[in-house]
Amino acid sequence: MQALNLTFLQIDTIVFIRAIYIFLVILSALFGIILGFTIYKRRIEKNKKAWHQSLAGIISQAIVLTEEETINITDEIKKLLKKSIFRRYVIDELIHALKNLSGASTLNLVHLYEILELNIDSFKKLHSKRWHIKAKGIQELGIMNQKKYSREIFRLTNHPNELVRNEAQCSIISLYGFSGLRFLNVAAYPISKLQQIELLNKLKGLKPKNSEGFKKWLQSSNESVVIFSLKLATSVNLHNLYDNVVNCLQSNCLEIKLNALEYIKKIPGENSAGIIVSHYFFNNKIFRLAIIDALRDIGSENEISFLLSLLHDEDDEIKAAGAKSLSWLHPLGADFLQAHSFADQDPWKNIFLEIKNERAA
Amino acid sequence: MTILVAEDEIIILKTIELRLKKDGHSVILTQDGREALKQIEDSEVDLIITDIMMPFASGLEIIEAVKRKPGKKIPVIVLSAMGQENVVLEAFQLGADDYITKPFSPNELSLRVKRFAPVSANAFT
Repeated sequence: MQALNLTFLQIDTIVFIRAIYIFLVILSALFGIILGFTIYKRRIEKNKKAWHQSLAGIISQAIVLTEEETINITDEIKKLLKKSIFRRYVIDELIHALKNLSGASTLNLVHLYEILELNIDSFKKLHSKRWHIKAKGIQELGIMNQKKYSREIFRLTNHPNELVRNEAQCSIISLYGFSGLRFLNVAAYPISKLQQIELLNKLKGLKPKNSEGFKKWLQSSNESVVIFSLKLATSVNLHNLYDNVVNCLQSNCLEIKLNALEYIKKIPGENSAGIIVSHYFFNNKIFRLAIIDALRDIGSENEISFLLSLLHDEDDEIKAAGAKSLSWLHPLGADFLQAHSFADQDPWKNIFLEIKNERAA
Repeated sequence: MTILVAEDEIIILKTIELRLKKDGHSVILTQDGREALKQIEDSEVDLIITDIMMPFASGLEIIEAVKRKPGKKIPVIVLSAMGQENVVLEAFQLGADDYITKPFSPNELSLRVKRFAPVSANAFT
């Protein structure tokens, strides 16, 4: 029995020693990998510092180049350009420089990008399986105004990955302005609010050639396309879409209706106030409040009786909103409330105070 | 003119250097604010082009130092990505003579620099 116990003890010890040995081997391997990676990273960083100096000369030369001059690419740079890591670095530097410049000098940078055939590197990224590389390639081609790749970029505006899709949409707009919006015809995925803001910013200062596309997009089955089109039509003051926008008030989507209301507020038609009031009773409280608020801007004395009827609503928020809009439309202004017998009662005392403060501000 | 350029981005710095040299100016380059302040004390400069965000001392500190310096009035052009109204106003209140926001055109900068050239020099260009 004692001999058996000893054998077990010996086996345990052997297993234990082997386990420690394996653990140490794994630990050393891990340490080696981390050390190797750190050395590699440091070398790359050191290289980048050196590259930065030599590149700065070429890039700045290219920026101030006149039509008669040609760029001189040194043998050192030509040799370095054979390395893909250096080419990636040059693209990043060119894009960084481009963001700091405007005018004719940006064309020189694009020219340098093409001379060094870096557009091919960016284009190759579009075929990467990794989404972030794909998105980077799209961004590079867009910033560098590479219209010859627009067909591939356009295809990616409907990519299942949101970030790839967003980047492609932004690039197409950078390349073609309003004409690039044709991706809305086939947009199968929702356009996020953030992306809508991004696209609106990119289109700032541009004017559409016509409103034909808008008429189609306002009927899109993709709600985000309708919402974006409404925001865009409002921001560029597209007057001839009024009837199409009024139809949007019948949508089941609250956000579409609210954006349609914003358009009508900014670009009202002949009987806009009457039209929006006619939608009042078929909608929820949020939209009702928005309608009451819009009447402040586009209402007239014709809407006073409607607003007066709201003072008897069960909901205090509706009452207050009605009273506020009335204070702008009523011939007596904010004093109309005092003429009412209930002016001293709650909640009217507070509502009246709020209106007075708002008007004073 | 002798122009001091204070800018921490080397590509922008070299671009400005090349552009101004093409116009016949001599250029002193610095990549940080402290070095720029030293150059202002030690060298004879006719114009300063400075970024705002720089290591060790900001462009605003440079304007203050230049405007405090007795003797010849040295014009300062600010070249910065910071276009916020409060920053622009502060720069002008401190005595900046011009403010260019990035992204900028080197050709436009060249023309703006010409406005500060002495009248006699202008007559020959």
